[in-house]
Amino acid sequence: MGPPLRLNQCRSRLGAPPSLPAVCGRVARNPGLQVGMAAFAATAGRLLGLRAAGTEGRLLRLRGAGLQRALLQPASATGDAAQRRQVAHFTFQPDPEPQEYGQTQKMNLFQAITSALDNSLAKDPTAVIFGEDVAFGGVFRCTVGLRDKYGKDRVFNTPLCEQGIVGFGIGIAVTGATAIAEIQFADYIFPAFDQIVNEAAKYRYRSGDLFNCGSLTIRAPWGCVGHGALYHSQSPEAFFAHCPGIKVVVPRSPFQAKGLLLSCIEDKNPCIFFEPKILYRAAVEQVPVEPYHIPLSQAEVIQEGSDVTLVAWGTQVHVMREVASMAQEKLGVSCEVIDLKTILPWDMDTVCKSVIKTGRLLISHEAPLTGGFASEISSTVQEECFLNLEAPISRVCGYDTPFPHIFEPFYIPDKWKCYDALRKMINY
Amino acid sequence: MAVAAAAAKLRGSGRGLGQAGVLLLRRLGARGLARYHPRRQEQQHFPSLDDKPQFPGASAEFVDKLEFIQPNVISGIPVYRVMDRQGQIINPSEDPHLPQETVLKFYKSMTLLNTMDRILYESQRQGRISFYMTNYGEEGTHVGSAAALDSTDLVFGQYREAGVLMYRDYPLELFMAQCYGNASDLGKGRQMPVHYGCKERHFVTISSPLATQIPQAVGAAYAAKRANANRVVICYFGEGAASEGDAHAGFNFAATLECPVIFFCRNNGYAISTPTSEQYRGDGIAARGPGYGIMSIRVDGNDVFAVYNATKEARRRAVAENQPFLIEAMTYRIGHHSTSDDSSAYRSVDEVNYWDKQDHPISRLRHYLQGRGWWDDEQEKAWRKQSRKKVGTPLCWNPGPGAGVGGMFWGGAWVKNSGGMERLGLGDIELGDLGTAPGMSLSVACGVRLPGHMRFCCVLGMIPALHALLSEERHWGVAVRG
Repeated sequence: MGPPLRLNQCRSRLGAPPSLPAVCGRVARNPGLQVGMAAFAATAGRLLGLRAAGTEGRLLRLRGAGLQRALLQPASATGDAAQRRQVAHFTFQPDPEPQEYGQTQKMNLFQAITSALDNSLAKDPTAVIFGEDVAFGGVFRCTVGLRDKYGKDRVFNTPLCEQGIVGFGIGIAVTGATAIAEIQFADYIFPAFDQIVNEAAKYRYRSGDLFNCGSLTIRAPWGCVGHGALYHSQSPEAFFAHCPGIKVVVPRSPFQAKGLLLSCIEDKNPCIFFEPKILYRAAVEQVPVEPYHIPLSQAEVIQEGSDVTLVAWGTQVHVMREVASMAQEKLGVSCEVIDLKTILPWDMDTVCKSVIKTGRLLISHEAPLTGGFASEISSTVQEECFLNLEAPISRVCGYDTPFPHIFEPFYIPDKWKCYDALRKMINY
Repeated sequence: MAVAAAAAKLRGSGRGLGQAGVLLLRRLGARGLARYHPRRQEQQHFPSLDDKPQFPGASAEFVDKLEFIQPNVISGIPVYRVMDRQGQIINPSEDPHLPQETVLKFYKSMTLLNTMDRILYESQRQGRISFYMTNYGEEGTHVGSAAALDSTDLVFGQYREAGVLMYRDYPLELFMAQCYGNASDLGKGRQMPVHYGCKERHFVTISSPLATQIPQAVGAAYAAKRANANRVVICYFGEGAASEGDAHAGFNFAATLECPVIFFCRNNGYAISTPTSEQYRGDGIAARGPGYGIMSIRVDGNDVFAVYNATKEARRRAVAENQPFLIEAMTYRIGHHSTSDDSSAYRSVDEVNYWDKQDHPISRLRHYLQGRGWWDDEQEKAWRKQSRKKVGTPLCWNPGPGAGVGGMFWGGAWVKNSGGMERLGLGDIELGDLGTAPGMSLSVACGVRLPGHMRFCCVLGMIPALHALLSEERHWGVAVRG
């Protein structure tokens, strides 16, 4: 059973609602009232000669918009302008200003990354940053100013070849120098899969610790961004979770990103650092200017609770936070929200401890359901905490399809899908 | 098009719209005006009269005749050699004039490798080791190139470069230890035979995936350049591996990032059963170099002096000029691909015999040595006996204790299960010996129960005593010792 489709969400993303039963399998199986209404509205709109609205959802400005709204106004839609124009499926919640690391500065995610890279290059004379387009500052502005500051031999472009970028980075790391490689989008990391899985991950092991590439860090923008479609939205962490020998890390915020990235760079194992691209600008926080480290493989309970454990990483943590407050408000259910942070090796202790307390677990990620990392967490938790579970472990994930373009709002595990799954768990 | 050409002619001086240009405009009218928008004129406004192409991507001349470039494979890049097949120097000025001691070291390295190959190949056939790859016919490529390098130059190999390690005096015991995977193996028994590695001798551990070492070698060279180390990195690969994407990546990166790396391709005619005619259609690997902007040469890989000279010069220039060099050493793989291969299935015995008898790096060097009076038949006989004895040591027939089972797990920085071991404060645990099985000795760790839900899964086909131990404990761990 899908969650109720909120019309104002549809409008803000797609303009005139498309014929929704045709959208995708799971949704189409449960054409609720609003779905039918939306299809009617689409027809009505066409009949009235209404132009489709732009993606900002400015239906109000069209003639006859009143007609649509009169027909379709669902009870929950408040018609609030701010809500209709909302384009993101989450609201970034900044953490309070950290006190223990000295002076802080307001930074968004990409600025926090730049700060971390700046700190690294300043401290470690062997450190180099390379990848496609990093010289001018990077397509996401993560390396702005670094080439001017540290020189063209330390911040440089490579040819367009991911297998080359990672292989080259491994080679630098083998000599003991620090290599920070950038893959332009996580979606393009696959040509480098052989170098990462067969080489980087196994370098130390296969040589009996004679050689290693521990000083390699690979950074890549990750996750949905609203319009990325198949090849600019992927979350491939599950592919790498299956590979002993590397570490996989996903931050939820600028403060977390800088600390975790610095830890990855210092870590003596090759690390993959996925940066939620939708947060590059949207997430703004006070971030310490000086370097600091947030430990890897330690999950964080960002909100304590007693009834359900919610586990997520990256952008989805903010969705879960909202789900937790919805649950508290509407159901009186107290949720414990955990940011996993490190996918591999992951912090089983914290998650299991929490589930032993709450008895219920909901894991959510944008990546497709089958074989996604939620399946690993679910499997381990049921092994370790079987008798503590009050309900089956719930996974709210992307569908088992490639990441679509226009249908993104239906694809991603938004707060309504998570809330619905949570409700079912509570009522199990 | 014709109008534009006419306009260009009229504007020959390139100083913008002259009188002629105004006249032309009047004739063309408003629509024509659009063609001569000031922006467009800017594009044609260059001081040179030569009308050269201005594309950022290439700086060649224009040509007005349609002609495709014919790839030249019949008379392609020539093969550089110093000695003929009888070991005679062809052009005395190319003779490197190496001292007797050095040339004898060449010879002894090649022949010792050959002997070790024979014995270890037999060991596999006898079931003592699981797998082996011989280097028959390619000893010259290894020794000639290794001799031309500094001992600290970093080597990235593929799998058929044992002669490089041999030349760097890697002990026979360690070659064999790796093949047996016994307690002396520095690789801790983790890899198949012939996957050698040696930190001291700057030989990066071999891995099975082909060509992956090529971009890595480039990265290492870049780091060496930054460190002003005066080091070169050499990267060996076969002509088959050169078809991999990683090879293309490595060549391109080396050229664009100006790395002091030598790409050494052993073109031995076969990639397992695939002959070169099915591997590529161009003029081998050397012809690809110029396509990337890389200095390239093709040498006779069975002529140890040719290999030496080319590598020596490439090394000198790579370090001095920070640019990559590509050496394609033509040779022949006399042996099978490996102990899992029987090459009579895809090539004739006659073909193999030709190379073995008529053009072998070892015999050519021997002729040279004999010609110089530095070697004779008696020394040959004595050396053969000595090298067989060296290789056939007790270690070879009785490999000693096997690698500790703890070697299966990680040491050093990466510990499984989110630092559980570290957090529990476990250090080294004594490895106890529960007994051995004939043929394969195993040291076994004592089982240790770890609190909570930390556990390591371990499935081993094992001796009964260990199996009993494992089945007693549902949750147990094995100490990780680096």
